[in-house]
Amino acid sequence: MIRIACLHVPDADATVQSALLDIALRHSPSVEDVAPGIVFLDLRGLGKLWGGEEELARRLLQAVAERGWTARVGIAGSRAGARFAARAGEGVTIVPPGRDAGRLGVAPLALLDLGPEMAARLARWGIRTLGELADLPARGLAQRLGDEGPRLQRLAGGEDPTPLRLWTPPPVFEESAECAWGIEALEPLGDLMAGLAEALCARLRRDELTADAFAWTCRLADRTVHEGFCAPAASLADPAAAAAMLRASLAARPPRAAVEGITLRAHPLRAPKTQPRFDEPPGPSPRLLTAALARLSGLVGTSGIGAPELLDSHRPDAMQMTPFVLFSSRNPAGVAVRAEGRSPEARTELISGEARAEINQGKILAVRRMRPPRPARVTLAAGAPAHLHAGGLAGRIVAGAGPWRVSGEWWTEEAFVQDEWDVELGDGTLCRLARDGRGWRLEAIYD
Amino acid sequence: MATSIESLPPPGLDPEGLDGLLQAFPQGRLSEIVGPRSSGGSSLLLALLARAARNGVTALVDASDTLDPAVAARAGLDLRGLLWVRCGGRLPVAWRATDLLLRCPGFAAIALDVGESASAPPGMGVRLQRAVANGESMLVVRGPRHLLGSAAALVVSVRRVRARWIGAPRPLRLGGLVSEARVVRSRSDPGLTRLGRAWLLEWRT
Repeated sequence: MIRIACLHVPDADATVQSALLDIALRHSPSVEDVAPGIVFLDLRGLGKLWGGEEELARRLLQAVAERGWTARVGIAGSRAGARFAARAGEGVTIVPPGRDAGRLGVAPLALLDLGPEMAARLARWGIRTLGELADLPARGLAQRLGDEGPRLQRLAGGEDPTPLRLWTPPPVFEESAECAWGIEALEPLGDLMAGLAEALCARLRRDELTADAFAWTCRLADRTVHEGFCAPAASLADPAAAAAMLRASLAARPPRAAVEGITLRAHPLRAPKTQPRFDEPPGPSPRLLTAALARLSGLVGTSGIGAPELLDSHRPDAMQMTPFVLFSSRNPAGVAVRAEGRSPEARTELISGEARAEINQGKILAVRRMRPPRPARVTLAAGAPAHLHAGGLAGRIVAGAGPWRVSGEWWTEEAFVQDEWDVELGDGTLCRLARDGRGWRLEAIYD
Repeated sequence: MATSIESLPPPGLDPEGLDGLLQAFPQGRLSEIVGPRSSGGSSLLLALLARAARNGVTALVDASDTLDPAVAARAGLDLRGLLWVRCGGRLPVAWRATDLLLRCPGFAAIALDVGESASAPPGMGVRLQRAVANGESMLVVRGPRHLLGSAAALVVSVRRVRARWIGAPRPLRLGGLVSEARVVRSRSDPGLTRLGRAWLLEWRT
């Protein structure tokens, strides 16, 4: 005998829904996520476990009330019956077995989740309630609506043989280890992390998943916490590559004190199983690239490696480093899609119209930026730069153009304003100079 | 006599211009672009990377951290597919990073910009040449002078011809740079090095 409970919290959002699903799953192994604020539970075989349907409904209400919300529970022999019971009554409403049809007679058609076309059709026929639908001649309904007609009529009469669409909680890929004696050296800590990564990767592979990010939390002996994060160039489930990446990340940002406990989490991703296309250029192997990036991070630091991204600003050298992610023409945003970062379209918009016209024509004069800009001594003649001395660069200025004022972000605390000159030295060196309130600087050399 | 369509270069390709020069850079070999500052060498390197980026991801090991991404994007380089390794002025680190990247096959091109004060560790040329010979990647080293001896299969020398200023009689802005490129060594096509063969390249700001 089918018995369905509907747990309903009016005006619920996604946060409430997540909590409702959690509560429902603690009371029944079969749970369906219907809509925000509505969860179905399959009650078959649970009566003796909870001491009857009424007791189970009371516990559900109590669990929801502990979170600060007011819920209603309806129990019936069908989804439509349970939902109608939950909506109609306050607190707990139980429809005795076999009485669904009688109770559902006055329920609105909307309970059946009809498509807009079917809802409009039934409305044209003047059908407003489930009872009216159930009373229609079955043969005529089948002639006009096909198989859908009798199915809807059975639902309206309280017959609902379709099993629940089971909801399962998202898996948590997390491994922890305790080390009460404390680990101070990086090498054993890396070994411990590699062991956790191996266990995580084994679980990921078992579920045919990969990870596009790893995060760890270390509990330190000085009662503080050390957290870290790293993302491979392409999602992976290879323990060796993951371990190499984690070791490099740890070396780049080691914990301040001995580690007493460590937790490693992986962000799972279902990698599409597709063959590479013939018209797509081959790229580096994700496993080898991840290992190479991990070793490079050890050489230049994690901040010194990545893909540059232009920022939407007129500030000189406005850019940032983003993690390097392998991308393909089918997935331009990257194999391991991340929420952060600007879309490729938005990035293209950052390039002005004039520059867009020049793209792909090549022959753009490169600029070698000084980071940071070198302080310079400039001698003026008739208001224009005449002689330059900046670090290893010195000479008479034979030609120049400027000043061009660059300013912006005056509405923030980081406003900038500077005058720029392009100058040519006697030895042919082409430079860009800038002057602001702090003095002259060599910004870049054209090359 | 009619010319076969297949024998014609693709539309937009100028065999005697920049494209002709870029085609001379061989895959699976070590090449060098040499020339003093403001000679157009970095512009040539960017154009080469932008061309290689059509065939896959590229990497730039930047010893002195001088790449301007905005200019690179204007030169046609897809920044999403560029792995930028910033070495902060540490040249030995840049050599090691290049060597490390070559062990990861699949890059269309790997470029090393050694900056202004250039020197190469002994035997580095041969080491890099052997590493790149095993794959399909193109390795290009940009420096002020020829650094890697006989290991380089192609050496392109770039010199500045003149700067182009816009506005007269007083210049109003820098319009570009005209530079001249010559192939001083080419193992694959010795004809490129013949006397008088030069590419006049005009770079726009």
